[in-house]
Amino acid sequence: MAELIFDGDGFLTNPEVWNESVAEEIARQDGIEMTENHWAIVRIIRNNYEEKGNAPMIRTICKATGLKLKDIYELFPLGPARGACRVAGLPKPDGCV
Amino acid sequence: MEHLTEEQINKAIKLLKMRPDSKLESHLNACVHCGLCAESCMYYRAMKQDAFIPAYKVNLVASLYRRYCTLTGRVLPFLVHAKELDDKMASEMIDSLFGACTMCGRCVKHCSIGVDIAYIVHFGRRMLAAMGLVPHSLQQTVDTALQTGNNMGIPTEEFVDTIQWMEEELQDELGAEAHIPLNEENKNIIYTLNPREPKFFPLSIAAMAKIFYAANESWTISTNMYDVTNYGLFNGNNQQAGEIAKRLHDEVIAKKCKILVLGECGHGSRANRWEAPNYLQHRYEFETITAVELINQYIREKRIKINKTLNNELVTLHDPCNLVRNGGLLNELRFTVKNCVSNFVEMTPHGMDNFCCGGGGGQLAMSEYNERRIAIGKIKADQIKQTGAKVVVTPCHNCVDQLMQLNSIYKLNVKIKTIAEIVADAIVIP
Repeated sequence: MAELIFDGDGFLTNPEVWNESVAEEIARQDGIEMTENHWAIVRIIRNNYEEKGNAPMIRTICKATGLKLKDIYELFPLGPARGACRVAGLPKPDGCV
Repeated sequence: MEHLTEEQINKAIKLLKMRPDSKLESHLNACVHCGLCAESCMYYRAMKQDAFIPAYKVNLVASLYRRYCTLTGRVLPFLVHAKELDDKMASEMIDSLFGACTMCGRCVKHCSIGVDIAYIVHFGRRMLAAMGLVPHSLQQTVDTALQTGNNMGIPTEEFVDTIQWMEEELQDELGAEAHIPLNEENKNIIYTLNPREPKFFPLSIAAMAKIFYAANESWTISTNMYDVTNYGLFNGNNQQAGEIAKRLHDEVIAKKCKILVLGECGHGSRANRWEAPNYLQHRYEFETITAVELINQYIREKRIKINKTLNNELVTLHDPCNLVRNGGLLNELRFTVKNCVSNFVEMTPHGMDNFCCGGGGGQLAMSEYNERRIAIGKIKADQIKQTGAKVVVTPCHNCVDQLMQLNSIYKLNVKIKTIAEIVADAIVIP
């Protein structure tokens, strides 16, 4: 496995090395065991990042996975940014997150 | 850090010499080295490093002032502890002024003679900004706001899609007359958001819309400019801060609205209410108030009906520094919360002496200093634990994000809510 480089916040600074076992490793650090729903969220975020270079809106995540907002916040207690985007191997989003 | 160039140094010194600023000069010369500020600072309390003592931060800037702006400092620098602006000095300044200060101003209240330490820290940040030495992640948030019109780079169509989604949720609850009006003109209120809301946490938008609906308010959100934040307050670049502030000002004028209502954001409230007219040297033509003041007014005037027994869990309040200690909303905030919850407990200390969440001053954006942010956050986490509360409310999305992280790391097992959310939960629609 290529070396993982994290920023001070624990976000990958070399997002290109990300793969599913990296996701599992990051999730484990947050005490999350990846279920199908976790994967559905992570894949949407990852695809959006690879296509558009940023994290999708929570709206897009809900639409594409069919999950409710409440479910997403429960699946990733640190929230879509610090929780799900980090597991999906994105760099830290700008702003108050 | 790369070696400073002559040009960089000159820019910073020029700023220092570009007085007159009587407040800056008197406060730079006033510290009596009593040391009372040390224990008031979360960084010093959590990590006990001398470099984190507020007086030490003041002295960094003061020693440069003495070197470049006083006769003795120029001729006999060692006599008055005057220092050169060199590589070592610049990296110390970055580490202390950007990396170890939330600009919460708690030290100011504890200073035996009232030195405005946060003001001096901000001036030091301005010198660093003049040299192009703003930490990358903080500058990036400012750049995104300048380039895209909001600090998370949200495209307009995705913003509109999210607002419509929240409008549908609202209509499911309240009926078809409930709306989130976009881009309307001649309304009483133009409302603003923290981009974090549409991007990741949109329920607070629906909550505020419910309050507007209950109050039968005339309001709108502009899709051109809805961002209440202004990280130009933190990166020390007043020109960029002014540019961001001007966009919001111009949008209120373009939409011909009477009152600019600042969404729940501590630094954004300060930046837009008080700093912006100074950046722009222009007295605003419209009224500018915070969401907390507006909700307070609705409750006092009985424009919304509240049943506080709908919020039964034990609730505590986190005072955002820029709204309470440095923002004057101590009583309004408590009036609102106590009217909407049936079990309330204060943190110790709270109000003017409250501890910062740990994420202020741009810290939340600066990954470079994440470990310190979490370390000082333990002070806040312990405060919350001691209250035994199940819910923490706070009118600042920046504080909310830091509290969410503290909740997870320090296992607080609480819910974190905005004021709009707790008020919306208690509203009774007749």
